[in-house]
Formats: sequence, structure tokens, C-alpha cells
Amino acid sequence: MMDQALWRAWVIKNHLTLDPSPQTRSLSGAPCLDYSLLELIEPASFDIAAMRALLDGHNVPERDWLFGLMTQSKLFNPRRVGSRVFVAPDYNQSMEQQRELTMRRIKFLLEKGVVDGWLTRGTVEEELRKFALQEVADIYDHSLAIKLGVHFFLWGGAIQFFGTERHHVKWLRDTENYVVKGCFAMTELGHGSNVRGIETVTTYDPRTEDFIINTPCESAQKYWIGGAANHATHTVAFSQLNINGINQGVHAFIVQIRDADGNICPNIRIADCGHKIGLNGVDNGRIWFDNVRIPRENLLNSVADVSPDGEYLSAIKDPDQRFAAFLAPLTAGRVSLAVSAIYSAKIGLAITIRYALSRRAFSVAPNQPEVLLLDYPSHQRRLLPLLAKTYAMSFSANHLKMIYVKRTPELNKTIHILSSAFKASFTWHNMRTLQECREACGGQGLKTENRVGHLKGEKDVQSTFEGDNNVLMQQISKTLFAEYLAARKRNEPFKGLGLEHMNGPCPVLPQQLPSTVLRGGQFQVDAFRVRERDLLNRFAEEILQRQARGERKEHALLSSYQLAEDLGRAFSDRCVLQNFVEVEENSPAGSLRDMLALLRSMYSLTCMEEDASFLRYGYLSTENAAAVRKEVAKLCSELRPHSLALVNSFGIPDAFLSPIAFNWVEANSWSSVQH
Amino acid sequence: MASFSSSNGEEDQVLVEEKSFVRTVILNRPKRLNAASYHMISRLWELFLVYEKDPYVKLVILKGKGRAFCAGGDVAAVVHDINNGNWKSSASVFRKEYRLFYLMATYCKPQVSILNGIVMGAGAGFSIHGSFRVATENSVFAMPETALGLFPDIGSSYFLSRLPGHFGEYLGLTGARLDGAEMLACGLATHFVPSVELLSLEAALHSVDSSDQAIISAVIGEYSELPMLEKQSAYNRLDVINRCFSRRTVEDILSALEQEATNEVDDWIQASLQSLKKASPISLKISLRSIREGRLQGVGQCLVREHRIDCHAMRGEVSKDFVEGCRAVILDKDRNPKWEPPRLGLVTDKMVDIYFSKVDDEDWEELKLPPRPNLPASAFAKL
Repeated sequence: MMDQALWRAWVIKNHLTLDPSPQTRSLSGAPCLDYSLLELIEPASFDIAAMRALLDGHNVPERDWLFGLMTQSKLFNPRRVGSRVFVAPDYNQSMEQQRELTMRRIKFLLEKGVVDGWLTRGTVEEELRKFALQEVADIYDHSLAIKLGVHFFLWGGAIQFFGTERHHVKWLRDTENYVVKGCFAMTELGHGSNVRGIETVTTYDPRTEDFIINTPCESAQKYWIGGAANHATHTVAFSQLNINGINQGVHAFIVQIRDADGNICPNIRIADCGHKIGLNGVDNGRIWFDNVRIPRENLLNSVADVSPDGEYLSAIKDPDQRFAAFLAPLTAGRVSLAVSAIYSAKIGLAITIRYALSRRAFSVAPNQPEVLLLDYPSHQRRLLPLLAKTYAMSFSANHLKMIYVKRTPELNKTIHILSSAFKASFTWHNMRTLQECREACGGQGLKTENRVGHLKGEKDVQSTFEGDNNVLMQQISKTLFAEYLAARKRNEPFKGLGLEHMNGPCPVLPQQLPSTVLRGGQFQVDAFRVRERDLLNRFAEEILQRQARGERKEHALLSSYQLAEDLGRAFSDRCVLQNFVEVEENSPAGSLRDMLALLRSMYSLTCMEEDASFLRYGYLSTENAAAVRKEVAKLCSELRPHSLALVNSFGIPDAFLSPIAFNWVEANSWSSVQH
Repeated sequence: MASFSSSNGEEDQVLVEEKSFVRTVILNRPKRLNAASYHMISRLWELFLVYEKDPYVKLVILKGKGRAFCAGGDVAAVVHDINNGNWKSSASVFRKEYRLFYLMATYCKPQVSILNGIVMGAGAGFSIHGSFRVATENSVFAMPETALGLFPDIGSSYFLSRLPGHFGEYLGLTGARLDGAEMLACGLATHFVPSVELLSLEAALHSVDSSDQAIISAVIGEYSELPMLEKQSAYNRLDVINRCFSRRTVEDILSALEQEATNEVDDWIQASLQSLKKASPISLKISLRSIREGRLQGVGQCLVREHRIDCHAMRGEVSKDFVEGCRAVILDKDRNPKWEPPRLGLVTDKMVDIYFSKVDDEDWEELKLPPRPNLPASAFAKL
């Protein structure tokens, strides 16, 4: 913090200086801190590069390479503001212009070799590189990342996961080179999360060996299909498969929807979804299939096939399991969304905290300099717990990515549950963070160029696509209930999902909670486990009681939604804390590890302060809860001196932040106006 | 007007002329092409500090005596130190020099550098970080360090990385030379003034009584021309440069250039390939990474990182290419350096990483940037 005496001296000096330079004069009323000064008065107490390596987790040089590529190309719309250049799309362009630019930027990435090997090299290293580069594209523009994601993760992923050799050979290389442009037609007007209820129907004609895919009614039109409105040439269409009058459930087919010149194919109708609150660089469209004939080979047949004479063949007899296999590519999408949400929160916090370190408001006493926003304890309380949560979730997002790229069949359940839990809680966290950041930036938060406000519109969709957050969270408690039943029935210990703690005796939380206890990792982990354990027991008991009274299980699960919500959150929070502790334990002792401990305490205690179940069910006494709250305030003031270093560790280059993150007086001065 | 020479005895390496509100600082080692010495650096540091505080100084002009503005650092002295096991003594000269570059990059008053001759290495450091760089038809710019087993330092990862497209990677890796017209086109120079006009320009600048950037820019503009680029100019190849030098690794850049060479017979591509193949392999990898990191950093961070790399290069724990390059090019002049590792494929990421880490030596000092007052926007480099 700038020493007040020095500040006064500086002001007085300026009054006495013979002829202040025009630059100084324009600032003389309210001296503002600029970028270089910020770093000088807020020195880092830990190694920022090491912290960044921990947060980004992998492929740091590749990330920086792509950041550099984008800053050096006119295509990414560099804009000079004062003495700085920022790169961001021009969101004032029309929807059509934004869509075309998104496509041109993708072509640029293709030419530069950014997407090399995204589908054709299947190693763990390659998959991590792909994640890293997509994350960087996302820091630039959500539309760019989503349009890449639809093409590679959804369309490409569907061919990889559902297709067999013949599809891989035919489509993957052409997809990687954008010879074909893919989209993913799952959602319909009438069915979103409930994929099994979709109404598109496909039948088989053994005489011509064709499938016939049809949209039987308006609610069966494919909806929100990213890429469909303008660019996609092919789609993976999800449809009920009806063979000889028997519905075999949802299957996936490759359907060409445009020719190479972009003309819509016969028997395909396409309409636009129109302007949206965000993501206008993605051309979401609607598709109707009018008895479109496609060759038999276009069934993606890794799970089930139809013989030339029309016999249905599947290795998986259980239709439930067959269906579950179809949701596999959505897992990759959920993993990348969880990560994307955290990078978005990082952008918001980096901009907002930097602004709060240079913007002043009100003096505490007459003739005193005005106080920096971040020196107000209340402002710290608004931002710093969100900062700690973002750190915590960032480590868990990395953990999820790592188990995803090293996936084995045994890990499928864990990946499904963790990706659901993290996708839901991280995207909610992001929206909450962006709203807080927007307000904390005051009027400046409303300007599109300052990113935080605009990102709300861009990222809002994340709580809906790839699985509605509420639906995902319900699945978590449902799965935990199933685990509970399995363990109790077979009288076997819990195994997996980190539930092993349920097997031992229930931890006892101390009655007195001084600072040293509150900040202990053991206490925090215990507290989260006590909550999860008790909520799972209560949830299971309530359902079993309802069932005993004659309610159907499904009904009982739905009626117990209050406990289900609490439990889902408890599970997610506990997983995040556990991953945090692991990262901390693997760091060498020193200033960086001390910082992690501080952040971990802030994360844990904030969760305890915010979740009413700690008080509702008595895991903490009212005195304990008050002690937790006090400790959060103390942690705020302890984190305050490190806040700049903590957001600088996010590794987001200056050009990808915004003018208020730097010298905003200069950025807004008359000489910076484009005359 | 009074004209006096630097008071520090031995050989008046820096001369000063005072004209009302303007101070003209002249690098004066013409026989050594104004190579930067410790003495010269110290003197510049003192002068620039004094002028910044003096309300009667509005503008600083920097120029060189003879046919060079400044051809670089005193490499022979550095190699001498290293060979005597005393690289840390050179490291402290670098620290002093880098603090000067930082002072210039964040200077509160305008600095006009007149680049009527050779501008290389430290010469670029003395000028490009300042607010105005005037090129002439005699200007020759280059950052030739990769041929010496070093890397483009002097804070150049900051300004090279901010040139259009990937022109900075091209200049930094190949050491290609630019003339004044090219310097202006890519932004290394802010103005081009024919050398016959320089006396008039200086006279006009002597009557300036303001530090207003716009006013000074207008004064220089009066004498400026827009020179034509030579048809063969590298700057006309920016599209090829962007295609090749945007690649992720040095190996990828080389193969992209070779690919271009198969498409068309082109002397310029051959020359670029030759430069890259003659340069120290580890230098190329360090240089590319340094420029790429510089693109995302402030000038201060760039200087700190480059100072670290310089120290590692002098210390020679990974490779002694710096000493070998100086031997082959400057001392023995056999032009046949034996690089170690000899090939790009043998340079591992781990080896390169070491150059970017702190030096593991108790006596080593990290570069500490001098604290600067509340800086106006104009204090930042203008690229």
C-alpha cells in the first residue's frame, strides 16, 4: 500500500514543481497507480511463475505460444487504448460478422498448426495439449472455444467414441483439417436434458441398405445445434432407432447437411436460433430431417449395429447401459466446461482486484488520501473468498482433467460423477464471481471492453449446456444414495468417490475453535466429512422411510430434494478440499506452500460460513459459527497484501485483461480518444 | 553556448552539449564504434538521472560520434572477465546497464536518439527504449547475438516481440540487418530523416521548450521523409515471415522455411536458413523462448529475465557457446565456431529451462529495478 506520508509529499511536491509536465498535470487531482507501480508497491512474497505452473498444471509454453500468436495477428482485433494494446473480439459487430470472424480465426489456428493432432494423435500428452490450447482460445473468446469444442469434442468425439475403424479412417483426418465441418444434433425443442425422450426417428430400408431419418413433429426439430446455422457440413444426429417396429433406443448417425459449397442438402431444413445473450460468434441453428436417406455405414456402430438385411445387433443387451455409453463425449465437454468456468472467474478476479488496487473512494478522515477499494475490509470480504475458491477449484479442475486423460473403464463412474459435480459447482461459482466482480468495478464493469460484465452473458449458458446444473447435482446425490445402499446391503465398506471416510468412526469436531484449530487442515477436512457423512445418512434415511410408507423410489428421491441439494454441495466441496490438500502436500515447504495453506483455510472456512447446513444440523455450534466468521475476516486482511501476486499467478497476459486493470486514467484520457 | 566534456577523466567517452532546455549527449568512442563500456554506462546513468530531476531540462538528445551510433557492448572485456574466472564482474556491469535501460524505458522526459549509423546490441538498448528514434539512410540495425552464442538481450525481448506479426522472431533469430527505411516500416524507428537534414533538425530541437511528445514529434516530422523500402526488403516478406516464424519451435521454424524454399527459389529464404544454421543451436532456442515470453511481459520483467540468461551464458554451466562464439567471430576471427551442443536436436528443454532460472550461486545478484515515480503513460516504450 502506498505510504500516506509519501503520497502527501508527492502531492505537495507537485504544487511546488516549477512546471509540471502535462502528463503530471492531468493527474494532479487524483494520483492513480499504474501497472508498473502496482507491481512495485505490491511485491510478491512467493514465486509467481511456480504458482502459475501449479495453476495451469501443464503445457505452459504451448499456452504462451498461442497467446503470442493471437496478440500478433490483426485477425484477433488488437485495439490500442492509451499506451496499451488489448486483444478481444469486437462484440459490437453484427451476429453474422461475429460468426464469420470466429470461423476465420479457426482457419488461422488451423494454418498455424494449433489444432494439429487434436483427433489423430491419441496420446495423453496430445490430449492435454488440446485442453491447454482450447483453454487459451477460451480466454480470448468463449465463442471461439465453443465452436472449436463442438467441432472437435462433440462431432469429433462422437466419431471417436461411437464410431469404429471405418468411421475413424473416413472422418477424423478430414475433421482435423476442416475439410468437413461437424456439429452435434442431440438436443431438440421438446427434449434437452432428457435425451432418452427425443422424438427424431430412424428406420431401416433393407432393399437399399439405407437408414431413413425423420423429424416427425415440431417438438422433434433439433435445437441449439452449434455450427448448424451457417457453417457445418455434417452432423451427428441422435435419434430413436426403430427396427421392424421395435424401438431400440437412442443411436447416433452421420448425416451430411450441406455440400462443400455450403448449400443445404435435399430433405434438410435449417433455421437460425437467432441472437443470444452471449456466444453470438457461434451459429446455433435448428434442423428438420424430412425422411433423409443415409447409407447403412453412417450408423456409428461401436455400441450396436444393423446388419445389411436389417437385423439389430448389440453387444450391450441392457438398454440403460447402451444409453449410458452414448453420453461419453459429453464427459469431455463437461471436463472442459469446468475448467473454462474457472479461467473465466480468473479473468474477472484479475481485472477486478487490479482495479481495486488502484481505484480509491472516500477518505476516512479529512485531508487524508482517499482509500483504495481493496483496503476496505468489506471489499476484501467480497472478493478474496472468491479468489480462494477459484484457486481451490482450479486445482480440482486440473485433477479432473488428469483422471479424464488417464481414464480406464474402472474410472468411468468417478469421472462421470466428478465431472458432473465440478461442472455444476464451478460454473455456478463463475457466474456468482462475475456478478460480484461486475458490481465491484462499479460503472466500469458495465463497459464491454472491461470484460467482467460481458462475460456474464457469455458464460451464463454454461449452467445449462452439457447437462443442466440442477439435473447434474441431483444425479450426484442419487449416485451417492446408490453407493450407500450397496455398501449397507452387502455389508461392505465404501470404496471410491472419496467416500472411504464413511467406513471409519465419525470424526469429532473440537468444541473450542481457536485460530490454530480453524486453520488446521485436519479440522477442515473433518468438518467437511462430518457434513457429507451426516447428510448422506439423513438423505438415505429419508428416502428409505418414504419407500417404507409406500412411495416409489423415484418419487422419494424427488421429494427429498432439499437434502439432495445439501448433499450434492457437501460432496463437491469435500472433493475440492481433498484435492487442494493433496496439491499443498506435494509442494515443497516454503513461501508458496504457506500461501496455499492460507488459501485453503480461506476456502474451507468460507464454505463453512456460507453453507447453512453446518448450523442447521449442528455440526458447528452458534459460537463456532461466529468464530469461523471472524476468522474469515482475519484471513481477508492476511490475504490482502498478496492479492496482486495471487491474480498475477493466473498467467493471463495483460493484453487479455482490460483497461481498468491498468492505468485507467490514461486509458480514458482525452489523448486516448480516437479523434 | 557552453560545451563541455564529461568530467570523468580517462577518455571522455560521453560528451554533453547544453542548449537552453535541451541536453545533447554524445557517445564518444568512435574508434570502437562507440561500444558501451562500464564508464560510458555509468556516465549515462548519472546524466539521465540528473536531467530527469532538473526542471530546466525538457528534452534529451542521444547520438554517436563517427559512423556508429553504438555497435554494442564491450564483448572483448566480457570474454576477458569470463576467461579469468570473473564473470560476476561482468554481470555487475550488465546490471548497471540494464538499470539504465529501465530508466530510459520509463523516462519522464522525451529522448530523441539519432541513429545515423550502426545500431546493434547495447546501441539498440540505449535508443529503442526511448520515446523517439530517428533513422537515416546510414542506419544499420541488427541484433546479431545468436551468431555469437548469445541471445538478443538489452531488453530486446520487449520491443522485438512487439514488432508487427513475427518480424521480431525473424530479427532476433537470424540477426538480419535492417536499413533506416526498414526500421521505420517495422516501428523500430519513429522517424526517418535524411542525414543532410540532421544539423537543421538538431537546431530546431534546440529551441524546444516543452516536454510535450506531440510538439517534439511535430518538430521532427518537419524534417522527416517516408523512404521507399527496397524491393528485396525482408519487410516485404512479412507474410512468409509470419507463416514460418510463428511456429512453435525452432525446429518447426526451420522446416517451415525449408518448405517455403522448395516452393520457390529465393535468395532471401536461403540467407535466412543459412543464418539459422550457422547460429548456436542453444542460443536459437533460448532466443525464441525469451522473445515469446517477452511478448506477454512488461519491460521490467523482460530485463530481469534477460539479465538472468546473460549470467547463465557467461557462467557457462550448460554451454560455453558465448565464449566460443566471441572467439570465432571477434577474437580469432576464424568464423568457425564449435557449438556445444552441436545440433538443435541435442538441446533439451531442461537445458533451456536452466537459463531462465535464478543463478544458483550465493554471490549472484538478481537484477533489481530502480523504483520509479508515478509514471505517465508516455514513459512506456512506444512500440
